[in-house]
Amino acid sequence: MRTRLGLALLMVLLAAALAFAGATSEEPEAADDTVKAAFVYIGPAGDFGWTYAHDQGRLYAESQLPWLETITVESVPEGDAVRFIDRLVQEQDVDVVFTTSFGYMEDTIAAGEKYPDVDFFHASGFMRSPNVGTYMGDMYQIYYLNGLISGAITETNKIGYVAAFPIPELFRHMNAFALGVNEVNPDAELSAKWIYAWYAPDAAREAAEALVAEGNDVLGFTEDTPTVVEVAQEKMDAGERVFALSHYSPMEAYGPDSSITGQLTDWGVLYVRMLEDYRAGLTTDMTDYDLLYLMEDGAVELGGTWENRINPQYVDTLKGIEIDHPEFGMTNIYDLVMARYDQMMQGRDVFDPFTGPIADQNGVIRIADGEIATIPHLFAEMNYHTDNWVTAPPQE
Amino acid sequence: MTIRVTPREETTQGFRTLVLVGSLFAGLIAVGIVFAVRGVNPLLAVWSIFRGSFGSAYGIKETITKAVPLILIGSGLALAYRAKFWNIGAESQLLLGAVFATWVGLTWGPHLPGWLIIPLMFIAGFIGGALWGTIPAILKIRFGINEVISTLMLNYVAAEIVKYLVVGPWKGETKFGYPYTDDLPDQAILRLLPLSRISPALVVLAVVLALVLTYIIFRTRFGYEIRVIGESPEAARYAGIDFFKTLLITMVISGGIAGIAGVGELSAIHHNLSYPETISAGYGFTAIIVAWLGKLNPAFVILSGLFFAGIIVGGDAIQMTLGLPAVTVSVFNGFLLVFLIAGDYLLYHRVKLVREHA
Repeated sequence: MRTRLGLALLMVLLAAALAFAGATSEEPEAADDTVKAAFVYIGPAGDFGWTYAHDQGRLYAESQLPWLETITVESVPEGDAVRFIDRLVQEQDVDVVFTTSFGYMEDTIAAGEKYPDVDFFHASGFMRSPNVGTYMGDMYQIYYLNGLISGAITETNKIGYVAAFPIPELFRHMNAFALGVNEVNPDAELSAKWIYAWYAPDAAREAAEALVAEGNDVLGFTEDTPTVVEVAQEKMDAGERVFALSHYSPMEAYGPDSSITGQLTDWGVLYVRMLEDYRAGLTTDMTDYDLLYLMEDGAVELGGTWENRINPQYVDTLKGIEIDHPEFGMTNIYDLVMARYDQMMQGRDVFDPFTGPIADQNGVIRIADGEIATIPHLFAEMNYHTDNWVTAPPQE
Repeated sequence: MTIRVTPREETTQGFRTLVLVGSLFAGLIAVGIVFAVRGVNPLLAVWSIFRGSFGSAYGIKETITKAVPLILIGSGLALAYRAKFWNIGAESQLLLGAVFATWVGLTWGPHLPGWLIIPLMFIAGFIGGALWGTIPAILKIRFGINEVISTLMLNYVAAEIVKYLVVGPWKGETKFGYPYTDDLPDQAILRLLPLSRISPALVVLAVVLALVLTYIIFRTRFGYEIRVIGESPEAARYAGIDFFKTLLITMVISGGIAGIAGVGELSAIHHNLSYPETISAGYGFTAIIVAWLGKLNPAFVILSGLFFAGIIVGGDAIQMTLGLPAVTVSVFNGFLLVFLIAGDYLLYHRVKLVREHA
C-alpha cells in the first residue's frame, strides 16, 4: 500500500516536471530583428584567462547591441565541436556561431558547409569559406614590449615560458617576446616547457615550479588561467624574486607583486564589429573576411590591469635602468617601452618587432635583413624559435 | 543503537534489481540537490538532460555516436573486472589502438582498397590496445605490481607517445605545421549515415562484440575461469587455473577492444591522429562507470553505454538551456558511480540497526 502511494506521488512529480519543462520550451518567439549568437568556449568561462576574456567580450557586445541574444557552451573539447555546433544550429536556431579556439578550425569549416544559412566566425584560425570568417586580436607586439621589460628586470638572465601547443600562434608570441628580451639584454636566455593543453592549471603550476627551480626569474605563459602568476606571487611571498606576465585577462589581482605587466585583449570591440557587419549584410561572402586586430586597431593592450600598462610599483625601477639604444640613444627601459608602444600604435610599417635579420636556433636566417615578416609567415609558417631560446621546439 | 554489518550469503534477482534501481535513484536525488543548490529545478534539469539526448532525432544520433566507444570499452572492462583485474587504463589502450591504426592507414591506405585496409586497421588497433593492456598484466602476475597504479600511469605514458608522434615524426605535411597527422586516405574512412556521425558498421561491431563477450563470460570454460579468479583466487589456485595465461588473455581482449574503440574514433570521427584529448573525450574513464552500471555483463553494458552517452550528450543541452556549467556532467557521473558502488556493498552485506541492551 505504502509503495503504491510512493509510486503515485512519483508519477505526479514526474508529470509536473514534464508540464513545467514543456511550458518553458514554449517561450514567445523573439522579435524578427533579433540576432542570436552562440559562443563555443574551450575552457570554463570562469578561467580568468582566455575564455574569460572572450566572455567579457560577449557581455560587452550584449550591452552595446540591444538586438543581440547570446548563448554559450563551455569546456568544449577540440575534437568534439561538431556535436555542439549541430545542437546550437538544429535546436537553438542560432544565426551566428563564434568558435573560440584554434583546434575548432576544421570543424568550423565543415559546419559552414553543412549549414550554409548560418555565419561562423573562428578565432585565431586561417581557414575561411563563404560563411566562415576569422578574427584575432593578436598580441605579438605586446609580447615584444613584455620582452623589453622582462629582459631588463631579470637578474639571473634566465627567462622561462610555460607553453600550450607548438603551433604558429605560440611561436609568434614567444619569438616576439624573445626579440624584446634580446633588444635590451643579449645575454639573457629563454627556455620553454610545453604542457599540451590550453586549460590545465595543474600542469601549468608544475611547469612554472620547474622553471623557477631552474633559475628563471621572469615567467611568461600561454595557458588559460592565472596559475603561473599565482606561482610567481607565492615565490615573491616566500622572499624569492620571480615575475610573471598576465595573459589575455587582467591577472594582477592574482599577483599584486609578481605581475609586472602583461598582454590583454579586448574581444568586445571585435565581437561588436562582427555582429554589426553580420546585421548590415556585409558577411554574405566571407572568403576574405579576416579581422586581424593589432595594437593600432585597439583590441590589444599592454598591462596586468586595464588601468596600468606597468605595475606601478615597478615603474621607477624600470625608469632607473638605463640603456644605450642604437635607435633612441641613451634612454631608460620605461621610456623605450613607451616609445616602441607609440611606434607600433601607428602601424606595422612604422615599427615591427619581426624586422630582419632574424635567425632561428640553427643560424638559418628566416626573415631577411631589413624585411618585415609577412602576416602569412607569422600566422601559418612560424614553427621555429629565435636564436636566444635554449630549448628546442618540441617537434625537433 | 549501533549499526551491525553481517555478510550476506545469497541474493535474489529481485533484490539485486531493487538495489540497482535504488542506487540509481539515490544518485539522482543527490545530483538533484546539487541542481537545487544552483537554483535550478532538479526535475527540470534531469528531464532536460534526457530530452536533450533521447528526445530528438539529433539527440538520438549523437547518443548512439557516443555510445559506441563506451559499449566497446565497457564490455572489455567488464571482462577484466570479472577477474578483479582493475584496468583503469582503457584510455591509453584506446590511444594505442588509434596509433597503430593510424600507422597502417597512412602507410598502406593509399595502396589498398577499402574492404582490405579498414579490417587491417581494426586488427592493428586491436594489437596496439592488447599490447598496451598486457604490460600491466605481466607486471602484476610476475612482479606483484598493483594494476590500478600501473594501468593509470600508463595512461600518461600513452598520452605522451601520441603527443610525441603528432608534433614530431608524424606531423602532417598538409597541416600547416599544426600537430596533427595527415588525414587518412578516403578508403580508410568509415562510411557514416547521412547527417550523422554514426557508422553503421561500428554500431554492429560494438553490439556483436558485447554479445560475444557475454557468451564468453557466462558460457565458456575461459569465462568460468575468469569468474573463479575474480570471486575466489584461492579456489582458482586449488583448481589449478593458470593465472598467468588467463589474466594475460583477459587483458589482451580488454585492451584490444579498447584499441578497437580507438580505431572507430579515428576512422569514423577524426580522420587523423591529434592530441590525446581530441582522440578520446575521456571514454576510457567513463566506460568504467558504464561497465559497473552494466553489472559487469557486456549485454547490459549496451544499455548502460547508451544511458551514459545520453548523459554526456544531454549535458550539452542543459548547458545551453539552463546555463549550467560543463562540469555538471562530471558531477552527475561521479555521484552515480559512488552510489552504484555503495549499492553493491548491500548485495554482500546485511546492514542492520541494532538496539543495544545494557
